[in-house]
Amino acid sequence: MIDAALLEEIKQTLIKQELPGGGWSYGSSTSQAALEPTCLALLALRWDSSPARALGLEFLLRMQNPNGSWPAFSGDDSEGSGLTALAVIALINNGEMARQTERGVEWLLRLKGKESHWLWRWKFETTDTHVRFDPNKFGWPWQPGTCSWVIPTALSIIALKQGFVCCKPEQVSFRIRRGTEMLLDRVCPGGGWNAGNGVVYGIPLAPHLDATTIALLALGGEESNGAIASGLDWLERRAGTCSAPWSLAWAILALDAYGRPVEGLVDRLCALRDPALLADSATLAAAILAIDCLVEGNVFKVIA
Amino acid sequence: MTRRSLLAGSVGLAAGAVTAAPFLLPKYDRVRRPARSRAAIVRADEYSERLEGALMSALRLFDLNIAGKSVLLKPNLVDFVPGVAVNTHPVLVTAAAECFRRLGARSVTVAEGPGHQRDTQLVLYESGFRDELAKQHIPFVDLNRDELVKIKLCANYTGLGHLFLPRTVLSHDFVVSMPKVKTHHWSGVTLSMKNMFGVVPGTKYGWPKNILHWSGIQQSILDVCATVPIHFVIADGIVAMEGNGPLAGTSRPLHSIVLSDDPVAADATCARLMGFKPERIPYIYEAVKFLGNASTKSIDQLAGQVTAPDIPFKVVPEFEHLRASQSPSCLGT
Repeated sequence: MIDAALLEEIKQTLIKQELPGGGWSYGSSTSQAALEPTCLALLALRWDSSPARALGLEFLLRMQNPNGSWPAFSGDDSEGSGLTALAVIALINNGEMARQTERGVEWLLRLKGKESHWLWRWKFETTDTHVRFDPNKFGWPWQPGTCSWVIPTALSIIALKQGFVCCKPEQVSFRIRRGTEMLLDRVCPGGGWNAGNGVVYGIPLAPHLDATTIALLALGGEESNGAIASGLDWLERRAGTCSAPWSLAWAILALDAYGRPVEGLVDRLCALRDPALLADSATLAAAILAIDCLVEGNVFKVIA
Repeated sequence: MTRRSLLAGSVGLAAGAVTAAPFLLPKYDRVRRPARSRAAIVRADEYSERLEGALMSALRLFDLNIAGKSVLLKPNLVDFVPGVAVNTHPVLVTAAAECFRRLGARSVTVAEGPGHQRDTQLVLYESGFRDELAKQHIPFVDLNRDELVKIKLCANYTGLGHLFLPRTVLSHDFVVSMPKVKTHHWSGVTLSMKNMFGVVPGTKYGWPKNILHWSGIQQSILDVCATVPIHFVIADGIVAMEGNGPLAGTSRPLHSIVLSDDPVAADATCARLMGFKPERIPYIYEAVKFLGNASTKSIDQLAGQVTAPDIPFKVVPEFEHLRASQSPSCLGT
């Protein structure tokens, strides 16, 4: 049973953490708004009618770069952040299907991991082979001019799947397909996902909780396969011993999206009296999304 | 020689000079290398409460002026891999914090921006850092989520020009790099200077901080360390790592803590203890020109002796040439 009073209390805490000009910073020690806490807060407050949400949305739209991307934080350069997908997800789920959301999507479609270029692909296929991956299967980088990584790729797939529910233009379908192939290519041998590749110098890497959860969310609606099944099994086992609120919240969201039981994990998250949970707006918002997913629905759930 | 050929030659020379100038110019804004550097090696067999006393005795040898200063301890806290010595041990970090408090520091803060694992709190929980820091009321700052300031780089090996860096690091008076002594499959070693990659924020540059890899790891080490001064080094070599570091190597007890007031001297000393030739590590070779000293002739050894191990640390094949037992002909292979 969800503790409605607790949920309301932490929502109010999140609202109070909004900066005077709109947007959220990671922590209370800074007034520098950042993209990730702002987007997660807007998702957590998507049904809220308080002025905080409106102010936050206004800020997010104002923050957009001329090229359609979003900066990682106020004062960032204007080249664009790999978390731009999160801004698109936040706008879609707040009913803002405006031209600015479309421009964000257009930028995402232009952004590719550096390994997608033939020269780098050739390098990774011939001389630079210590990392086990297929450079033909590319996704999205954290920053323009770098390689594809799991989290920006997974978030971008979620943004495209949520942005184009029925009729997907060919380019959108192509990028979702390539990104999905990349995620499946880079799965860790024991299940789950690390930050990027699963094997380096012949050694299997251990999966990470948040990379695994976001990858699984992106693969929602895909035909069931071994990578998804082993990732879910690993996640279920690992989440059972996790006491860090950020990873626990994301684990709940991913397991819920696949219909696995999460009530016990939600109880544990609610019971955490960790100052780190309340001090960090991004973590607090992720916790609200996780606790709320059984009632208000899972904001990251996608269909194929 | 005709006047025409002289003129043509002069024009060609001038054009050549203009073209070559950027490559001939120094890649750093000024020479910061001290005339002499100091280092000490403390023997320690385990991570225990006794570390604090040994560390305090060694720190006193340096006669550091810490009174009233804000001290930032930057451990290597990259990820948590059960049973593998991946991170600077929390007991060493809290011992150092207590020592700096006793030396009169106004404040001591531990800060890190893990380069691989996005959930810093999870790494803190599982590595034991959270409990150790809480016990001694030592504040921790996640540099990946700190306020960022755009800073012009004081060296130009990468061509990046600037980086966004955390205000917490820039605002402290005394920065102590506390690396884990490890081999590294992309850079050969990861010591006090490579440890500073942890101040480059993931919020901006991602996990890992891939831009630093694309710009050249050795070059990025030089640019970051020229820009963010390391005032002191306490390197955790009690249990070090060899082989496929920084995450998938194997533990290698070295029974040593290396202290130095010069990061180049610290890294050169650690490299020697690992059985490597420091001058074969590109960033140390280059850093000697402007950042610090690597030659034993320029380092005053305040305690302990630099002794190469009988068997050098294992490395991935690309870095076999670092091992002192390899002939120089292996260089660059």
